[in-house]
Formats: sequence, structure tokens, C-alpha cells
Amino acid sequence: MIEIKDLEVLLGTFRLRIPRLVVGSSEYLVVMGPSGVGKTVFLHTLAGFLEPVRGVILINGQDVTQYPPEERRVALIPQNYALFPHMTVYDNIAYGLKVRGVSKLEIQKRVREIAEVLEIKELLSRRPSQLSGGEQQRVALARALVVEPKLLLLDEPTASLDPRLRGRARGFLKYLHRKLRFTAVHVTHNLTEAVFLGDRIAYFEGGELKAVMRPGEFVNSHWARPYIDEVKPLLAIMQAR
Amino acid sequence: MRAGSIRRFEKFALLLSVSASVLILFLLTPLIAIFTLTDLHALEEALIKNRMLSTEAWEAFAVTIKASLTASALLLALGTPLAYLLARREFTGKYLVEALIDVPLMIPHAVAGIMILTAYGRGGLLGSLTTSLGMAVDDSFWGIVAAMAFVSAPILIDTVKVGIESVDPMVEMVARSLGAGPGKVFTSITLPLTLKSISVGFLLSWARSISEVGAILIVAYYPRSVNVLIVEWFNTYGLSYAIALSIPLVLLSVALFVVVRWVLRK
Repeated sequence: MIEIKDLEVLLGTFRLRIPRLVVGSSEYLVVMGPSGVGKTVFLHTLAGFLEPVRGVILINGQDVTQYPPEERRVALIPQNYALFPHMTVYDNIAYGLKVRGVSKLEIQKRVREIAEVLEIKELLSRRPSQLSGGEQQRVALARALVVEPKLLLLDEPTASLDPRLRGRARGFLKYLHRKLRFTAVHVTHNLTEAVFLGDRIAYFEGGELKAVMRPGEFVNSHWARPYIDEVKPLLAIMQAR
Repeated sequence: MRAGSIRRFEKFALLLSVSASVLILFLLTPLIAIFTLTDLHALEEALIKNRMLSTEAWEAFAVTIKASLTASALLLALGTPLAYLLARREFTGKYLVEALIDVPLMIPHAVAGIMILTAYGRGGLLGSLTTSLGMAVDDSFWGIVAAMAFVSAPILIDTVKVGIESVDPMVEMVARSLGAGPGKVFTSITLPLTLKSISVGFLLSWARSISEVGAILIVAYYPRSVNVLIVEWFNTYGLSYAIALSIPLVLLSVALFVVVRWVLRK
């Protein structure tokens, strides 16, 4: 379980405030909000790359606010996946286990297992440059999940995918979450994605957490209006045809 | 319309080729000249037959190679962490540090020599320290190393810095989130991804060190490095002997830059 109390992060003149937020164990929380409201700042604070000026972050009851990123067991998947270009897919996935001193035999076993779950076994000897966007996303997921993080952070993980692949990637994330039951915080601009994946949706505006609610409630709230307004003209055109 | 565009492009390409050829010729002619004007008898005398001259020449080559490799190795060890800091961290006075690093590129090298002497020479600001460490720069091997390192430092630091800047910081952040500390991230991610820039930085700084003469003439005339000897032979024995001594240096420089291009293309 992730507990955030009275959090305040200062980045230049930008200030992010989260009075209180609890992410339950195995919960999939989706973060939404306009550009520049601090969604990525929030993720980077959870990961330990930004130090809050106030407040605490508890992971499973442990105060990790002052912990460096490598001691938090919070895995990050950025928008561009940031695979290690000089390593094979196998070495990418094994990296987190290697730096934690896991034995070679155990690494082999766990990499094979996660590669099987993510259906990327045949990619293990390839380099990231030889992978498609969808394959890169799966490798990034495998690399993050193999270390069994206490929290998985996903920063717009489907944004760089071909629109046709996005739906499949969402379906895969849903399947993976049901199977592995990891705790996740997922940033997106896409309402469909948020409703499809999120157990709850956290909405940020003006550098502040405004609301946390179930997808059904969110869609009916005024926070969702800009996203729905965006697709209204398209719906009107379709209805007219 | 299309054919017209192509024709216009061809004219433009021709114009570029003509101006490029002028510059290439300007750079190539001295290279050709030094080889065509080489007096083979003087070359043989200087490098092989005349015992006194050849001993002097090869000793000077040895000093130059040893000092330049030492200077570049020291720069590699100390300059890489500095380049990393400049590429990845924000700190007060960063712009001042960056400006200071580039100073040797702008000042006359004789002035650089005087600066080194006043800083690390026996009577210099840190003279007592360098003397107690056995590294006083006046007319010593360490003087040549200091002069070479001073003038070639910006080349290594700037090349490595640009290389590190080209690595996506997100890759390093992900590595940390997977459990790697900053040191491990540097050795397992940043270093392998910047190896090409580091190699090129090392080779370029080495090449620059080999070519240095102005600062060395002021700081350490002795032990004689090959560039100092070229000046001395030019004044004593004339152009043909200076050319004879220059030939191996020119060949080494060409070879070094061919290697640099090869590394960059890999």
C-alpha cells in the first residue's frame, strides 16, 4: 500500500501539492489532468528522483521519503521505455536482478518466466533497436516487473505506440495486472485508457490533486468533461452518417 | 519542373564542390609539400645513420610519446568525471567552470606556458607542493606533461561532455529505479554508451598534446621533446633536417585522425 500525506514538491516556480492519497495494494491507479499539472513530477517524486519540501511517502508502512531511487523498489516505465540500447533484451530484463546480486541461475529462471508471461521469449537475443514499439513496451514491462517492485510507475506507456497497437497494449496491461496483481500508478491523457485500466482515477489540476474516484464516477464528473467534449464532434459526425 | 529543380541542385552542388576543393587543396598542399621536399639523405642521417642525431631524435620522440600519453591518460582519469558533472548536474558557478575549461583554447600557448610556470614552477604559486611531490615543472618531464595537459584539456572534456549529454537521462533514471546506485549506473550504462566519445576525446587530446610546442618551449625546453627539437634543428641544421624530423610526426597525426574517423563511423 502507498500512502502519501501532506506532500509538497517544489520544482523551480512550479509547486505540486497532494494533501492525502492512498493507493491500495494491487490497485491500478490512473493519473489524469491537463499538460503541465505535475503528473510526471508526481511519478518522479514517487520514484525518488525529486525530493519533496514537505510531507511523507509511505510504502507498505515504511517511510521512504528520504530514500534514494535505488532503495525504494519502485520501478519506472517512461514514455519512450528507455531500454538500454547497448544490451540485448535478455540483459535489459536481467539488469535489475544483476545489480541486486541475484545468482546467475536464478536470473535465468526469472527472466525466462517473465518473458513467457509477456510473450517475448523469441526476442531475448535481440537488441532494442530491432524491436517494434509494442515489443519495446513489453520488454520495458518485463524489465520492471521481474524485480517484483512494490510499485510500478507508468508514464504514458501507450502514447508512443501506433494508434492501432494502443488498444492491444491496453488489453495486455489489463491482462498482466490481473495475472500479477502489482500496484501501479499510470499517467495518461486518454480517457478510454483511464476508464479501461484504472481501479480509480486521480485527477490533477493546477499542481494539485483535485479528486480521486472510480472510473464510473469520474466519467460523470465535471473533471471528465474536457475529455468527453473532445470526442463529441466526432460522435456527432458519426451519428449524422 | 522536376528536371529544372535537379539542374538547379546540380549547379548548387557544383558551386559547393568548387569551394570545398579550394579548401581541401589549401590543406593538402603542405602535406604533399613536406613529403615531396623531403631530403632522403637528411632523413637517413637524422633518423638512422648519424648516431648523435638519431639518438637525439629518437629520445625526443620517446619523450613526446611518453609525455603525451601520460597527459592524455591523466586527462581521461580526471576529465571524464568532470565532463559527467558538467553534463548531468546543475551547480552554482557551472558556467564559470565551463568558461575556465575553454580558456586554453583561446590564449596564446606561450602565455599558457608562462601561466603554468607561474603556477607550478619552483618559484610558482604551488611550486613548493609540486617540488615536494617531485613534479616541479621547470625543465622537467612533468613540465611537458603539464603543458600538454593544459592545452588539450578542453578537447577531451568537451568531447566527453557532448557524448554524455547525448545519452537519454531517462535511461539512467530507469537503471536507478531498478536498483542500481549512481556509481553502478555510471559504469554499466553511461560509460558503455559514451565509450565512443571517450575514445575520440582521448585520441584528439593525445593528438593535440603531440602537436604542442609553444607552452613546452617556455616551461620545459629540456628534456627535449620532438617539437622543440624540430625548432632547434631548423635553427641549427636548416629546413631539410627539420623536415626529416617532422615526417614521423606527420605520419602519426594522419594515422591518429584516420583512427578517430574510423571510431566515429563505427
